[in-house]
Amino acid sequence: MMDYLLTGFASAFSMAVFPVLVFGVLGGVILGALPGLTATMGVAILLPFTFGMDATPALVMLIGVYIGGIYGGSIAAILLKTPGTPASAATVLDGHTMAIKGLAAKALSIAAVASFIGGLISTIVLIAVAPILADFALRFNAPEYFALALFGLTIIASVSAASIWKGLLAGTIGLLVAMVGLDPISSVPRFTFGVMDLYSGINIIPVLIGLFAISEALNQLEKMSSNQQDIPPKFDYKLLSFSDFKKILPTSVKSGLIGTSIGSVPGAGADISAFACYNEAKRVAKNPEEFGKGSMHGLAAAESGNNGVTGGSLVPLLTLGVPGDAVSAVLLGALIVQGLTPGPLLFTQNPEIVYGIFSSMIVANIVMLIIGFLGIRFFCRIIEVPKILMIPIIIFLSIIGAYAINNSMFDVGIAIFFGVLGFILNKMDVPSSPILLAIILGPMAETNLRKSLIMYEGSWSFLYDRPIALAFILFAIFSVYSTVKLKKKQRLAAEKAAI
Amino acid sequence: MKKLLKTAIISAGLIMSASSFAADYPSKNIRLIVPFGAGGGTDAVGRTLANSAKDVLGTSISVMNRTGGAGAVGMSFGAQQRPDGYTLTVVTREIASLPQMGLMQNTADDFKLIRMVNLDPAVILVPADSPFNTVNDLVAEAKKNPGKVKFASTAAPNFYLMALEQAQDIKLNAVPYNGASEAIPSVLGKHTQVTMVTPGEAIAQLRSGQLKALGVMSKERISYIPDVPTLIEQGMDVTTGTWRGIGAPKDTPDEIIEILGNAFDKAMASAQFKDFMAKGAMTIHPLKAQEFTGFVKQDEKTLSKFIK
Repeated sequence: MMDYLLTGFASAFSMAVFPVLVFGVLGGVILGALPGLTATMGVAILLPFTFGMDATPALVMLIGVYIGGIYGGSIAAILLKTPGTPASAATVLDGHTMAIKGLAAKALSIAAVASFIGGLISTIVLIAVAPILADFALRFNAPEYFALALFGLTIIASVSAASIWKGLLAGTIGLLVAMVGLDPISSVPRFTFGVMDLYSGINIIPVLIGLFAISEALNQLEKMSSNQQDIPPKFDYKLLSFSDFKKILPTSVKSGLIGTSIGSVPGAGADISAFACYNEAKRVAKNPEEFGKGSMHGLAAAESGNNGVTGGSLVPLLTLGVPGDAVSAVLLGALIVQGLTPGPLLFTQNPEIVYGIFSSMIVANIVMLIIGFLGIRFFCRIIEVPKILMIPIIIFLSIIGAYAINNSMFDVGIAIFFGVLGFILNKMDVPSSPILLAIILGPMAETNLRKSLIMYEGSWSFLYDRPIALAFILFAIFSVYSTVKLKKKQRLAAEKAAI
Repeated sequence: MKKLLKTAIISAGLIMSASSFAADYPSKNIRLIVPFGAGGGTDAVGRTLANSAKDVLGTSISVMNRTGGAGAVGMSFGAQQRPDGYTLTVVTREIASLPQMGLMQNTADDFKLIRMVNLDPAVILVPADSPFNTVNDLVAEAKKNPGKVKFASTAAPNFYLMALEQAQDIKLNAVPYNGASEAIPSVLGKHTQVTMVTPGEAIAQLRSGQLKALGVMSKERISYIPDVPTLIEQGMDVTTGTWRGIGAPKDTPDEIIEILGNAFDKAMASAQFKDFMAKGAMTIHPLKAQEFTGFVKQDEKTLSKFIK
């Protein structure tokens, strides 16, 4: 295995591979940073160009786009409060708050380092124990997905900084939005009002663009017109210090491991992982009240958590021959076009390809770290662009992004609708992230609960006779309990302070 | 009156432009609507075919993914475009099923079908160590315990399964999954006992031996899995599968359909396209416009038996 890895490194640095790897990562970072353009789209569009390439550079380029894309999403999330992909929505919570405080450079460097740690750990775990992870992934089926989604929904409590009730209100709005479209089990149209575009449900990307990017632009616009502009923060280009690094290291490592496990389960991706890691970091934090107010730990957890998925998502592809998410579905296509058989045979028939992918992933993470650091000064300039120029640019990019995801004007309307909704909710201190979480997790919970009931012919026994499902249900109960306890403690402390 | 005149001028202009189009067609880029997401099987076939056909036509063909409603959104969108030959659509079996289920307004009649591209049968798959070795084992078990055999369904309703159920008068417990990429792990993880997908969707697991094929639902054996017997060989006259083709809005001039048909014939015969389809274990089935239209009509009839 070691010689294969070393040969892999040699090929990753060869003239045929290294340039396409750098191109892939750089392209991914740019795509990820633009709202509406996702890593999946980048990978799919590049796929036909790989038909004429050799197998290793072809796969390396696509994987580079994937790894770069997930990191790229966080740049816009931190600087502009505009997550490029749903995977970076959790990054906004603390990353953007840090940027407002003038710590943009520090936030970007933490994001780069945490993404690197998450990606690296994920790759190492993939190399070391892919078959074990595959076994874990196969144990997941409808009851486990339902329990995971249920646990995920409890995270709403911990990302609702101001009030749990307002968080629940936002979560309910999200669940309502998620109900629109064909019922996932029997294909009965729900809340579609005969509108064809609603049959497939409401696409999450335009919602994301509306809730975060457009509503933020409206917010800034209002501030500008009422002359109560934020005084631009005193900017400092300080990156993270060594002691910061030591502080975020444990959180990043743990989040990388959680991300890898979540990624290895088909159907659960970087968005869920980022929120789950954020939730876990907050749970164990010494000062959980700092989360949402610019906590380094919160940022590191979200960033390491979403990049931790990159290695994990290749587990089902390489060991079972099934794609775990949209990106690995494209990679599966790329492997097949190259005449390779994804799945366990790949390890025995084409080990040079498998280990070539592994070594390139490590190199791609290093390249991503370097691009991240080299880019910080450049990215930070974005903040210095006057608002009067920046707001139209954000709105312009948002509209283009909403259109591009599915070439649909309807989606542009959705983005604008949610932009206005987000703006209004923002005024009432209702948080946006629970809406997003509910849209991601609501359908997952519903579909899998109903699937489980079909599998068990109407019996609810799957809730307690399947160990993994039971574990997640207990996590969910514990998660609610610890949040309620924390809020109570905070309230008591506040009352004491008032006296 | 003014309005009438306006309409007349516009229609005259349109008619003239339509007729002048055919002479120098194609004079600009062609758009191919793919009703499924980038990266999926339909998308890959569409992109590769577009790539092969662009050399024949001498104009570039850009792929546009318009997803939603299991293909309904993209296909309806494609049917409603200007019939000038510059917007084509990848049509899939859903165009025969969704309108009958009331989930799509446009039907195959809203298209001029140009060519069928591929026709792939369903394969019945079980885990490698399953007690079932033939389709008859499966049918016998389903007869003994009606509604108890857990079937990982790639879509709801599942027409592959319905074809077998109706022919053999059996009932399986169909658990609906979202496509082959969810159904296959479910069978691998023994959460369900059997599934039906196309050969291309399971080629990795068939080659590695993780899954066992009980039978293929085509008239003849498939070259990619030559050892798998058909259901007909096993005494059951059941065939089913899925297909894809290319269509244009129904008022597209026949001359343009002809030009496009010839171009797609050449594209489907190109080494690049054949190689791509062979690697993905998909079967090219290049039916001409008329046969394709007849085939779709027949399939609509077949499907109507399953849709109440």
